[in-house]
Amino acid sequence: MATATFPPPPPFYRLYKDYIENPKSAPEPPPPIEGTYVCFASSYTTDDVLPSLEEQGVRQLYPKGPNVDFKKELRSLNRELQLHILELADVLVERPSQYARRVEDISLIFKNLHHLLNSLRPHQARATLIHILELQIQRRKQAVEDIKRQREEAQKLLKEALGTLAGQ
Amino acid sequence: MDIISQLQEQVNQIAGLTFNTFGTLQRDAPSARLSQNYPEPPPNPTEDAASFPEQPKQMSAALVKAAKQFDALVAALPLSEGGEEAQLKRIAELQAENDAVGQELQRQLEAAERELKLVQELFGQTTDNCLNLKKPD
Repeated sequence: MATATFPPPPPFYRLYKDYIENPKSAPEPPPPIEGTYVCFASSYTTDDVLPSLEEQGVRQLYPKGPNVDFKKELRSLNRELQLHILELADVLVERPSQYARRVEDISLIFKNLHHLLNSLRPHQARATLIHILELQIQRRKQAVEDIKRQREEAQKLLKEALGTLAGQ
Repeated sequence: MDIISQLQEQVNQIAGLTFNTFGTLQRDAPSARLSQNYPEPPPNPTEDAASFPEQPKQMSAALVKAAKQFDALVAALPLSEGGEEAQLKRIAELQAENDAVGQELQRQLEAAERELKLVQELFGQTTDNCLNLKKPD
């Protein structure tokens, strides 16, 4: 005896019975959601922004401010990481029970590194947009040139044809 | 793969090398003598002893190489100076130019279509006259 394992689809289809004759008799689609919404008992937000490190409870190692020099900060974080790895090796040799603090420091540096790289993504998106716009402008200019050239050629041909016909 | 993804992969690789290094060294290290009260630890089997001094050297060389590659990737980042405002300004300029060029293209296209229609009509008329399908007025 098979019972339905999935719930039936929502019954909204009945509202659209007379859609072909009268498109206005059926309800409009719902407007786009703004703000936060709940989907399958977990809430999501429509504002897709990278949460800052403080919101995740992680200390931020590189200086805050409007314009962060990404290359410099990435390089200095890399050097810090190498130093911390060496420190961990030392601690394991001499005072092995104190590894926890060092491991925490290393994971902090990794989190900062990944956060920096993620905050480069909007910059990358804008740069991609600029590139696409430039390509499109170039293609459109090329198309304009092509059309102009073809029109001139057509005019030339017509004049020649006129000349040939008139000469007869 | 784009450079930011490569950088992210490189960071993860450094992390992997780090924990593999420490894990392998901890697992394979020969026993050490903790205090004078305990006897000397037993000698370790030969296969371990042969390759064991090489392992830290190789693994640390791999770590340093990964770090250097990360630096090289960072140097290759095409980061234009000026930040977000400069990029947004450039996008606005490009959009304006794109609109202008698009309108020009539209005009040219309409003019070309008009001429095409004209030529087609005239061609139809001349062929009709040539083939004598219409009574001459």
